[in-house]
Amino acid sequence: MTAAKGQGFAIGPASFRNRVFLASGPAGYGGEYAGLIGLDRLGAVVTKTITIEPRAGNPGRRLQETSAGLLNSIGLENVGAAVFFADKLPALIAAGARPIVSLGAEEWEPYCALLDATALRVEVDAVELNLSCPNVECGGMAVGKDPALVARYVRRAKDTLIGKAVLVKLTPNVSDVASLARAAEGAGADAVTAINTVVGMEFLDDLGAPVFRRVSAGLSGPAILPIALEAVWRIARSVAIPVVGVGGISSVEDARKFFAAGAAAVQVGTAIFYDPGLPERIVEALEAEGIPRTIGSDSFCEGGT
Amino acid sequence: MSPETKGRFAARLESRKQLSPSCHVLIFERPDSFSDARPGQFVSIRVSETAPPLLRRPYSIMDLTARSLSLLVKVVGRGSAALAALDKGDTVDLIGPLGGTEFPAPRNGNAFLVAGGTGLAPLVFAARTWRREGRSQEMCLLYGASTKDELLEGLIGEDFCECSFSTIDGSSGHHGDVVELCENLMEKGRMSGAMLYSCGPRAMVRALVERLGSRFPEHVTSLESVMACGVGACRGCTVPVRAGGKIVFKAVCSDGTVFKANDVAWEEWEG
Repeated sequence: MTAAKGQGFAIGPASFRNRVFLASGPAGYGGEYAGLIGLDRLGAVVTKTITIEPRAGNPGRRLQETSAGLLNSIGLENVGAAVFFADKLPALIAAGARPIVSLGAEEWEPYCALLDATALRVEVDAVELNLSCPNVECGGMAVGKDPALVARYVRRAKDTLIGKAVLVKLTPNVSDVASLARAAEGAGADAVTAINTVVGMEFLDDLGAPVFRRVSAGLSGPAILPIALEAVWRIARSVAIPVVGVGGISSVEDARKFFAAGAAAVQVGTAIFYDPGLPERIVEALEAEGIPRTIGSDSFCEGGT
Repeated sequence: MSPETKGRFAARLESRKQLSPSCHVLIFERPDSFSDARPGQFVSIRVSETAPPLLRRPYSIMDLTARSLSLLVKVVGRGSAALAALDKGDTVDLIGPLGGTEFPAPRNGNAFLVAGGTGLAPLVFAARTWRREGRSQEMCLLYGASTKDELLEGLIGEDFCECSFSTIDGSSGHHGDVVELCENLMEKGRMSGAMLYSCGPRAMVRALVERLGSRFPEHVTSLESVMACGVGACRGCTVPVRAGGKIVFKAVCSDGTVFKANDVAWEEWEG
């Protein structure tokens, strides 16, 4: 058995009042949920991914509900770093939220420019590198699938963002997600976040065309929970840095499973669309009943199916 | 309108009435502290905590009084079917009011309100709101449905000074679509200088713009889109809109639901 987890904890130089975060994307810039989510009660709000320049996002349809999930093809629409730091981030902080800023990995040059801009922001002490967005042409998942590129992007972030915690969000759309986590750890990452969306597609009702212009989209929601859970289990047994579990959490019980799998914290994403009270309920339940211990893995034979 | 007025409520169903083979009016008790809403705003409802669908469903507010909140629900899928099966006393998980823009009240001249199907709902709210505010402009309704059975005449009441109907199958009113009805009235010189308000299927509003747009510089429409968050966070419900010579994506939920119809890049809008 591992040591009991307390409510508060740290990732690198950044500390958090509890272990329940809002996931990047669904949470927007945070302020949109005024009146629905008590942001000041949560461990952190991971912002919508920003890029150095504004992005308009993808044309065409962007959402398709599935049997137990949601496909999206938003395409990293965001206001750009300048507006984010001038308007969106101060509003989020004023709302009592503890931000983790999600930084988009585009091509190398704009990525470096974004890191350089972020390094100057004293109000930011934690970032999450989105190396895993499936919905953009350049960067994103193309970076996040290659351990060598992951290491290069993470090392640049650590070299630039002195004194800030760097979390790295990983894609599950690879044969060995643990190898990505090891690459991130080796490059100095303070934590990894697993998982981003699972690639999928859907057709229009008449089967005449795919729903999305880019065909592929990212699947989130309850459907992906077992995939996320297995990824967290595997990563937590491959690296020493904290693992932040995310993917399909729809109940307090779902959140507990991630801690049992080895997560140090959890993020709630798609569920806030239909149950914005869930993150606070998870906080309350964990405060009342403690954080579940990580299950020891010695007696389990892994690798078989 | 301040976005901070929204809240999440357990709304209790006061009554449900089936008006047509597919449409139901649901009247909820207005939850305590549910903010005042404007025409074009909406609520999002989580139909079930245990069964599909996953996402909330957005519904235009059809009326809001001191005591009640009325919605018009057409059964088209799992979510709406579950809503249409609710009984008096049942509660639903409801967020609202949502939406960042409203139908602007008519200024000079008359107002023509063009509705297709359940697009009637926000226009009824508009007419009732403006009537309650004591506005004296004449409000004329042009309303199209597929068949006589689906014409929800029971909702029209006395809010409109004049109503014209159309049905696709010709079983009541003008035989054809509501856009033709508009064209016919226009040829009689009835609509000059009027403000045009619309809500209905995308093809209807697009046809209004493309066939009549130049003659109605002031045409505002309440749009519908598949939504996830309903509050402007996820950017999933976007509509392409022309602004300053280029196309930008606006969120139907928070930048709308009401837009200038002539600004929408209809040919670019999929899904």
